Parts: sequence; structure tokens; C-alpha cells
Amino acid sequence: MRRTLLRTGLAALITAGILALSHATHAATRGGKMIYARYADSLFLDPVLNDANTDIWVLTNLYDTLLAPTKDGLGVQPGLATKWDTAADGKALTLTLRPGVKFADGSPLTAGDVKWSLDRARDPKAGAWSGSLASIAGIEASDGVVKIALEHPDPTIIPALATFNAAILPQKLFEAAPGETPEDKARAFAEHPVGSGPFVLATWQRGVSMTLRRNPHYWKPADDGKPLPYLDELEFPIIPDDATRLLKLKAGEIDGTEFVPYARVKELQADPALRMELWPSTRVTYLTMFAGATYKDGKPNPMANPKVRQALNYAVNKDAVIGITTLGLGKPMRSFMSATTPLFAGQDLYKYDPAKARALLAEAGFPNGFETSVLALSGNADEANNLAIIQQMWGQVGVKLRIDLVDNATRTARYRAEDFAMRTSLWTNDISDPSQVTSYAAYYPNIHSQHSQWRDERVDALFVKSQQETDPAARAAQYKEIQDRYCAAAPIVFLYETPYPVAFRKQAQGFVQIPLGNNLFEAAFVDK
Amino acid sequence: MSRAGLVAARLLQIVPTFLAIGAVVFVLARLLPGDPVSAMLGDRATEEAVTRLRAQLGLDQPLWTQFLLFAGRMLHGDFGTSIALRVPVTAVIAERLPATLVLTALATVLAVGLAVPLAFVAATQAGRWPDTLIRAAFQVGLSSPIFYVGLLLLTVFAAGLRWFPVGGYGDGVAGHLYHLLLPALTLALSFSAVIMRNLRAAILEVLQAEFVDFARSKGLSRRVVLFRHVLRNALLSTVTLVGLQVGTLLGGAVITESVFAVPGVGRLMVDSIFARDYPVIQALTLVLAVIVSLAFLVTDLVQMWLDPRVAR
Repeated sequence: MRRTLLRTGLAALITAGILALSHATHAATRGGKMIYARYADSLFLDPVLNDANTDIWVLTNLYDTLLAPTKDGLGVQPGLATKWDTAADGKALTLTLRPGVKFADGSPLTAGDVKWSLDRARDPKAGAWSGSLASIAGIEASDGVVKIALEHPDPTIIPALATFNAAILPQKLFEAAPGETPEDKARAFAEHPVGSGPFVLATWQRGVSMTLRRNPHYWKPADDGKPLPYLDELEFPIIPDDATRLLKLKAGEIDGTEFVPYARVKELQADPALRMELWPSTRVTYLTMFAGATYKDGKPNPMANPKVRQALNYAVNKDAVIGITTLGLGKPMRSFMSATTPLFAGQDLYKYDPAKARALLAEAGFPNGFETSVLALSGNADEANNLAIIQQMWGQVGVKLRIDLVDNATRTARYRAEDFAMRTSLWTNDISDPSQVTSYAAYYPNIHSQHSQWRDERVDALFVKSQQETDPAARAAQYKEIQDRYCAAAPIVFLYETPYPVAFRKQAQGFVQIPLGNNLFEAAFVDK
Repeated sequence: MSRAGLVAARLLQIVPTFLAIGAVVFVLARLLPGDPVSAMLGDRATEEAVTRLRAQLGLDQPLWTQFLLFAGRMLHGDFGTSIALRVPVTAVIAERLPATLVLTALATVLAVGLAVPLAFVAATQAGRWPDTLIRAAFQVGLSSPIFYVGLLLLTVFAAGLRWFPVGGYGDGVAGHLYHLLLPALTLALSFSAVIMRNLRAAILEVLQAEFVDFARSKGLSRRVVLFRHVLRNALLSTVTLVGLQVGTLLGGAVITESVFAVPGVGRLMVDSIFARDYPVIQALTLVLAVIVSLAFLVTDLVQMWLDPRVAR
């Protein structure tokens, strides 16, 4: 019932979003420029070799994929391919390419470009993302049809073809780029990238500002049948300071901005010149616990005992954390994946119960608690808030928490070395499928369950099976069991999910941020 | 030593300084926990991906091999390619340096312009209300955190009164100066407090000197005594102070550039340290070291002009 309610609620929210969007498109203004301030610049606009959300979230505006994630993030819709069929044995895919698509330079997008781009994206030697296309055995492309042979049936291949790294690039332009090695060519190409997306890069002053220009050859029409995008120009100035971005928005120097601090959301909602948008996201915030028997220095680890991990979860009042850090904008985590992830099967987890926490600690042999530490990012207000509250709550059950403030590279290095007791963590999905988050969080062989060393062989087996399971109901059941087992074993301290907070001036409309984070500007416009 | 001799000697001194700093920063950057790969690939990277990228970047080589490569390239003026930005380091620094230089120069001019006359008033009115008022005001300036002053100025003069843009760098010389005035003022406020206190004390000290009594007894006008004899002598220590503070000012630019979204090297340095972007950290430290060394040289030259005895 709860799930149905949630689904209904989610569906209503999404429908409202889509309605708002389609309503907006009726009154859309063509031409003009939108200025959308970002907190950090992109680093590398190559779909295959990039590593960061600052790249991934804007790539969709430059490049197209064969399929595209739906706006609710739960499925896929046609992209460069209009039609796709899976063979009866699940070991082949046939995609029909949209006719007449051109790259931003006016050259035609061919089946050859598709084969070349996908072959490059699935090359294990190129880029961190190739794993999503690892089941591909071979690709044949001719006359607008792309045939993909698979090593085995793969339920994730459809969403994988809708993910940024599977974007289609112009082979000729890429190969003509200066440089000796493919990496050099990628670097040169990504300085002046050309794709078939709604925009094309016009100017880029690194760390300062990026300007995209309308792609006159873009294939997608608006509701009125005329081509998208509406905007002639889209500028992304880079303003790292939250307060400065909001001052600029209020002064009307920019049309919109991302990552509004939660503490400022109510104030912006009350401003009649602005519109606060809270987009459903796949973003979850939690603490990763090291669950190995001993720490790196050989000392025994209390958190190796699941009862201790459960106790620490029972000792956190998630509602209080959400109230203080996110000012009520978050929702409690109900699985290790967000409720916006396909095959999410969460439930209410670890209702605040300090008495139970104390009892569990006593059962585990820690009646007087213990001392532990957490690695957190220095200068991050949200993490500081979360940990200050948790420190107090855990103190009440006898657990003393030391907060070690470090920078991101340090935290990552110690995390990878599995040299930590706890760390602050944040996750967003890149693909409309639960496999990515599961492979990192719960499936041990990939990265030791987020380097926690927590291992459940049943979960590993279920995951392997689910990666080839073509029966949707069976796969859903596998994911239900994985999530149930993970949540019971609690290798993390479950905290909250939060939406993406973006703000616009009233006249700037039509922006969409999907739960995966992708910023879509194809239907954005600014009223005069 | 002649002026030309001093300049030549100082320029020669920069060379060993440069080499020493190069070696130190090479080691220091690598002593930071983590490496460019952990910063680039983030939390999700698999061991395979990490190993591959480390090899690609040459980080799997022994440290001394990396150092020799770095030193060899540096002697040819090649600072390599930024790991995070994937473009030549010299290009990034050349793009970002002007904003910081203009910002610090403007801040220095504003700070001196603000501090010198007020220090003069405070010293000549020592103990009376103008002195108390000036010192109190500068005390506030000195004790306010830069980011706070910056936000305050932005809120009042940019977002509120709309006299200035809310951050950015603008286009063209006039545009740059217009955009940089508030951030420069932010930097100048705390800097001017340091200069004011120092200069006020120096003026008071010089006023006690015998040559001042002598000048007065010669019948020189108060104006001539104060400007030609007192101020000129008091300024000596202030000039040294301004020169020595250039490094501090560049450090303050890091925060100011973030608050005001100025695309300078301060922000670049912070980003590069977070990204463990060794080539940028190394090159930028060297460039900043050269700027500070040159500032010291200019300080010496100005001192020689103010007090010819320095040259002897």
C-alpha cells in the first residue's frame, strides 16, 4: 500500500512536471539567450573519457544517444533510434536509426558513426564507463539499421544505450582532430566538440564561462512542429560561491542557477521574481561504514558486527537530521538506492529507537559503547550539520564519534585504501537501471561494496543472475531480495534523499533536470 | 651598489630561489594524501581504472624519474599539461594571471590611497578624536574576515544599489576595472589597516626625530616639514611593508576571487590543489614566487629612491 501510495505520488509529481513543461512550451519564446550559472566548470567534454558530473550533466545538450532516458528517469524513449527490438533469445538488438539526422556541422549522422562510437565507448582500455556496454559482442551497421550482438541476454543494455557514454560522435571529425594517440585526438576534439544535440559549443573560457549556440540542424521538433531548441544561446558562467550565485540571480544578472543551498530555498520560494524548482533526483546521502573484521592497523572493528551497524542506525533520528540539514526538503532513505531508481523496493528503515540501539550494542558486547571516527569534507556545511547531530545522538547510546575533516582527494585515497572507520557519502545514478548503484554498493567483487568489505554471497549471486535476467518480474524479485538483505545488514548509516534545487527568474522557463542529474535545455526559453 | 648592480644581483638571486622552490613544491604536492587519479576518478573508480590512469599520467614511475622529467621540462620552459583541465599549463596560467595581477595592483593602489592620508591625519592629530575614529574604523576593517566583507559589499553595492555588477570579470580594460573595483576594495580594506597602523606609528616616531626639530628651527613651513621630511622618512618602512605584503595579498585574492567569481590564479590554485593537479600547482607556485621576488626588487628600488643611503 505504502509503495502504491509512493508510486502514485511520484507519478503525480512527474505528470505535474510534464504538464508544466508542455504548458510552458505552448507559450515558448524563440530566440534569445539564457544565462545559467553553474558552481563548477566542466573538465572534459568527451562522453567516453570524462569522469565528473560537471561533464555528464551537460553532455546531453551537445550529444545524442540512440535512446534517451525518460524525464522520470524510470525508462527510455527514442533518441537517435526510433525503434528497437530485442531478439527472442535476448542475445541481439536491432535499432532503426532516425532518418536525416545531422551533426551540428551539417554532416549526416550515419550508421558507421554509430558503430564507431559504440565500439570506442565499449573498449575497456578507454574510459571508466565501458563496463556498461561490456555485454556487446559485436556491432553491424548499414543503411540506417544497427544490429548489436550480445554475449548474453542483458537487461541493462537498453538503459545503457540511453546513457551519456554511449553518445554518437562524428567519426570523421574525431579522426581529423590533431594528435597522435586516440587520447590526444579526444582531447583536441573535446575542445571543439561537435555532436547532434540541441546545442553546440561556441566559446569556452575554462573555469570562467562556457557558451553554447543553437544547433540549426537539431532533429527534434517542438510541440508546434518547428525545430528545437528555442534558445539561440545558452551561457554557463562559473560562480563557485553559493551566496554570489544567488545574489546574481536576485539582481537579474543571470536567469537561473543550480545547487541552491537548502537553507535558502524558502527565501527564494517567497521571492515573487523567482521560481524555485525542486527536481526529483537519485541523490542519496549516507555514511559508509567499514565492516571488515579489522582496521588497516590491525585493531578489531566493532562495525564488523551487524548488530553494531544496526544499533548505529537505530540511534539516528533521520527526521531530525532532515529537518536541520535540508530544512525538511529531504526524505528518509528507504533502501541503498533512491526511490526514483527503477526496481526500487524500499521500506521504512530503522525508526529512531535509542533503547533498542543500546540493547543491540550490549548484545554485541559494547554495553558502554565505543569510540569511532568519520572522514568528512572540510568546508561542506551539509556534512558538518549531519555529523554534529549524529555525534550528539550517538553520544546518547555511548558511541563517541570523532569527525576528521579532510579534502575530497584525501577522503577518496583513504576510502580506496580501505583505511577508514566511516565516511560521508553521496550517490547519484548515471543510468536508468538499479545495476550501477548495486554493483558499487552491494556487489562485493566490483569495489568491495563501496570499500566497506561488507559481503553477502547471496547478494553477489543474485546480482550476477539479475544482470542476465530477461524476465522483468523475476529481476524485480531479485532486486527486492538484494535490497532487503542489504538493508537488514546495514553496511551504511541510512540518511536521506534530496531533490535537485535549482532556481530561475520567473521569465526563464522550460528547463528540465532528470533524476539522473542531466540538465536539459532543449525546451528552455526566456520570455521577453 | 649601483641601481643597475642591485637589479642584476637581485635577478640572479631569483634563479636559485626558483630552483629551490621548484624542488620543494614538487615534493610538497606529492606529500598531500591522494593523487590526481583519486581526485579525477572519484569514489567510483575500479582498481583497473586507477592503475591504467596512473600509468597514463606517468605517476607509476619512481619519484626521482618524475622529478628529473619535471626539472628537464621546466628548464626548457615547458610546464607540461594540466591533468584536470587537459590543456597546456602555460596557457591556463596566461589566461588567468592578468585578472589576479590587476586585482592585486588595484587593491594595493586603493589600500595605499586610503591608508596614507588617513595615517597622516591620525598621526598629526594623535590622541584626539579624528585619530581615535580612524584607528577604530581600521580596526574593524582589519578584524573582518575577507569573505564576509566581500559578501557585504556585494549585497549592498551590487545586488542592493546596483552600482556594481555582482562578481565576474567583464570585457575590455574598463569592464575589468569596473568588475574588479569591489573585490579590490574588499582586499584593500584589511590591507590598508595594516599600512595605516604602521605608517601612523612611523610618522609619530619621525616627528620625534632631531632632524625634524632642526627643520622646524630652520623656519621651514609646517607643510614642508611634514611632507618633505616627515612623510618621506616615515614612508620607508611602509614601502617595505607593502612589498612584503604582496604575497599575503595574493593569498587573500584566493578568497576574494571565489566570492566575486573572478577568474584569477587564486581560484585556479585552490582548484588545482583539490584536484592534485601537480603540473599546475608546480608552475603556479613558481610564477607566484617570481612575482613576489619582483615585488621585493621593486620595493628595494623605491626605497633607494626615497632614501639614497639604501643604495650605498
